[in-house]
Amino acid sequence: MRPFLLVNSALTCNKVQDSMQYALLVTGSPYQTKACHSALKFLKAALLNPQHTPIGVFFYEEAVLIGNALSQPPRDEFDLRKEWAELAKAHHIPLYLCIAASVRRGIVNETESKRYELSQHSLAEGFQLEGLGTLVELMNTTSKLIQFR
Amino acid sequence: MNNTLIHLSSSPFSSLSCKEGLDLALVLATFEQPVDLCLSGAAIALLYSGQNPNQTDGKHLYKLLDGLTFYDIENVYVEANNGLIRESDIWPNYQALDTPSWHALFSQYQHVFRF
Repeated sequence: MRPFLLVNSALTCNKVQDSMQYALLVTGSPYQTKACHSALKFLKAALLNPQHTPIGVFFYEEAVLIGNALSQPPRDEFDLRKEWAELAKAHHIPLYLCIAASVRRGIVNETESKRYELSQHSLAEGFQLEGLGTLVELMNTTSKLIQFR
Repeated sequence: MNNTLIHLSSSPFSSLSCKEGLDLALVLATFEQPVDLCLSGAAIALLYSGQNPNQTDGKHLYKLLDGLTFYDIENVYVEANNGLIRESDIWPNYQALDTPSWHALFSQYQHVFRF
């Protein structure tokens, strides 16, 4: 399976001349695929080029598992969630998790925890829950949207 | 305004992919974004009538097909020679594309998402 799939080429000439604004859509599980790893590598490489301006990352389907604060990788293994959170914080890139996909998979913030009358919440720091409308907004405000699945 | 193609290739019953792809299509349509669907591989099972999933199988996605038109989702494409399309017992409102048209389909959209 290909690690990622380039899906959008809605280029706007003016935007390309100034800087390439784009967003990432990650749908592959952090455990069953390398989608989250590939997207992270891509983002790190893109940030080296000042003409590239990533304005957000949207996690959907199984990829929302990246935002589970309760998952703990073995100490001698790569901490993918921590890497994502640190990179996003350093570059002020919002990390959105689809709220419906997240709640279904047990990733809830404080608000959702109260709504469902749960005793705890599990959303990792650096991530935020948003509806699919946020993805639509990203699609309409960027030159490219790139899916990793 | 962007036009979007949602490509469903996963079985409607083996994972949530098909459902979550349809969810995205409906949200896009709700935001008045032009969206079409295309189906290949195991996702074509979505079109088979006579499905009777129980609660453990997940939602009855076939029932959603007739509601697509209310979201202004008018185009549901499949490749004509895929070997999975039955002659009967199938949702009738899909459009079969010959192989060249199927291949050309994917370059006609600004966004293509695969589920």
